[in-house]
Amino acid sequence: MSIQAAQLPAKAALDGRGRAVAVGLRRVLGPDYRMGMLFVAPILLLVLALVAYPFGYAVYLSMTRKYVGLPPVWVGFDNYVKLTWDGFFQRAVVNSFIFTFGSVGVKLVLGMAMALVLTSQIRWRGFWTGVLLIPWVAPTVVSALNFLWIFDYSLGVLNYLLVRVFRLLPQGIGWLSEPGTAMASVIGVNIWRGFPFFGISFLAGMKAIPGELYEAAAVDGATALQRFRHVTVPGIKNILIIVVLLSTIWTFNDFQIVYILTKGGPGGATQVLPVFTYEIAFGAQRLGEAIAVALYMLPALAAVIIVLARYMRRGRRS
Amino acid sequence: MDNRLRDLSEQLAAGLIARREFLRKAAVVTGGTAAGLGVLRTMAGAQAKPKLRVWLFKSFVTAGNDVLAKHIETWGQERKVDVELDWATFGDREQKFVAAIEAGNPPDVAEMNLYGPMRYKPALRDVSKVATEIAKAKGGLLPFAEKATKVDGKFLGVPRYAMITVFYIRKDIMEAKGLKPPKLYDPDVVEFAKKTQDAAKDLWGFGQTLNRSDDGDGFMQNILWSYGGGPWDKDGKPALATSNREANLKALQFAVDTIKKHKIQPPGVMGWTDVSNNEAYMAGKLVTTNNGASLYYAMVAKKHELAAKTLLTLTPGGPAGSLVGGSCYNWGIFSKSKHAELGEDLIRWLEDETRFTEYMNASVGQAGPVYKGRADHPYWKSDPNFEAILQNILRSVMPGHPGPMTPAAVEVQAQKTLTDMAGRVVTAGLSPEAALKEAHGRVEEIYKIRRG
Repeated sequence: MSIQAAQLPAKAALDGRGRAVAVGLRRVLGPDYRMGMLFVAPILLLVLALVAYPFGYAVYLSMTRKYVGLPPVWVGFDNYVKLTWDGFFQRAVVNSFIFTFGSVGVKLVLGMAMALVLTSQIRWRGFWTGVLLIPWVAPTVVSALNFLWIFDYSLGVLNYLLVRVFRLLPQGIGWLSEPGTAMASVIGVNIWRGFPFFGISFLAGMKAIPGELYEAAAVDGATALQRFRHVTVPGIKNILIIVVLLSTIWTFNDFQIVYILTKGGPGGATQVLPVFTYEIAFGAQRLGEAIAVALYMLPALAAVIIVLARYMRRGRRS
Repeated sequence: MDNRLRDLSEQLAAGLIARREFLRKAAVVTGGTAAGLGVLRTMAGAQAKPKLRVWLFKSFVTAGNDVLAKHIETWGQERKVDVELDWATFGDREQKFVAAIEAGNPPDVAEMNLYGPMRYKPALRDVSKVATEIAKAKGGLLPFAEKATKVDGKFLGVPRYAMITVFYIRKDIMEAKGLKPPKLYDPDVVEFAKKTQDAAKDLWGFGQTLNRSDDGDGFMQNILWSYGGGPWDKDGKPALATSNREANLKALQFAVDTIKKHKIQPPGVMGWTDVSNNEAYMAGKLVTTNNGASLYYAMVAKKHELAAKTLLTLTPGGPAGSLVGGSCYNWGIFSKSKHAELGEDLIRWLEDETRFTEYMNASVGQAGPVYKGRADHPYWKSDPNFEAILQNILRSVMPGHPGPMTPAAVEVQAQKTLTDMAGRVVTAGLSPEAALKEAHGRVEEIYKIRRG
């Protein structure tokens, strides 16, 4: 038998295996999977280049000792272990949770109130909707700088109003100079800026609830509170969850308000993770550790993101 | 199509030349044209202006910024160089440098602060030749400037000017009370402040934040030194809660007492940023404060009524003397620059005495001397308030004092470790001992990391 003749069965076997793989792929991915892959390839490449690669590189850098201008040195999980026992990091984690949940909780209440007021029959509803959206539309830096002036002990308008105009206090309050008031102030500004997003989202959800449901509930003798609890809340449940989760992620990562108002002070009382990350990255110029700080809370945020994604998909299906 | 090629194709079509001849001649014409274009491109390239990217520090003294920009533009026109100017402020310069260095795209030349040579050492070019040449022509460098710009025996920055903190006093109030400028913080400043302040009118004797800020950190650094302490010993090892513990405790206690016990500071002082004391002073709410010359510049430039009522004096001291943290703005050339010679030429141009004098005059005391020759300039006698600026500069010390200026010393300052320490006592209720111990732990950690 010639060599060529001997190769024929092997080639046939290979062809057979290739066909089987193709059939398998067709079965799993659909008959036109090649065309599908062609369409998906550009976006896949973009995601790899713009999301996966930077993220992977960040994870790698967080496991290195990386100083500005010098090549990274692999240290494994050292940065994470060190952070776990670092008192300043621990305080930043606690502050981040206080800041986030304090803000989101109040934004939820205010946003709901805003939506309820704007769904009722009030005059100039469009005007009020526009006015209430101003904090959300204004650039955060501008708002924060304005609040820096508003909160100033000697020259700020808030103390001026409280002490001189309304005479509610014998002397001003150091809004940004005491740990309690400083945290309350940064939370307050975050609430001021963020509640219109809650309000406008809830408003959209409420408008989609059929009026007949309210009429039926009223016929059954439901009070306003009962109508809110049994009609409104179930009607906007998905929106409510999505908005709360989104706001939790945004607030947790909010940098500008805290940095401009307090820079994490006084004495670290308002030090939150994004500001801590910034301090380590640009103050200490230890980039590996800074990225480790940023990624440390990723599992917690990832859980929030997974829940959020699930709700969004459910919302789309329904 | 080229006319020669068209002729050739017509000759070929008419059968006047063979195809082989057509191909040969066409190749010569095309090749010649391509070569000619290449030569033209090279010539054009040779005539194109080189481009120099220059980053400047945008200080609060805007007139000085304008003069500097004008000098650089004139240099660009004279040398036929395209200059791309960009500015970095107090708030964003570190981010800009870090981002540019990590992206491999730093500027050619940059105006850096005193930390620059130490922090960006891996990305900077050795500028010893030009730095030595300029220093020699100006009578030599003042010691603090050499310490700030010379790293491991090489100059990584060419010194330009020193910006320093001085003590601001409301002269009118002082004279009305028959007082003299305080020499020591304790008890002079405390007594001075108590005698001059009027809390009911929101007028406070002393305004000095201990919050995270350059001003706050500078004050804490100075007060520790002036009490004989500081974060470092003379070998550059951490000493906050070890060999310098007693002196540091006294200094920290004094700083905290200005707020908690003596109540000579405005109630909101722990929330202040770097500009807050400037604003409060100009609003007439402070009798004394520590600040750089930018506050004096602002008052003079705006013809503010307090400009004439302000006395600038040496920073008050403590039991170990009066020590002041210095600064040294300097020019760096990045090693990635393809125009290092142009960069050096620009630095020589800007440090020319006529040009620097114009810049100094516009800066109202902010552009202090870093060269011995400039310290003798008559400008420093032109305003009585400049004497304090000059003398504070001449006696200034660098981070790490009394030891060497190290990367760890720079990082301790950059991380606001000392203001955090004071803040923990004032706002979190920690005892000075506990805050000192906590801060020492941070200094130790930074020392270990930076030494490794």
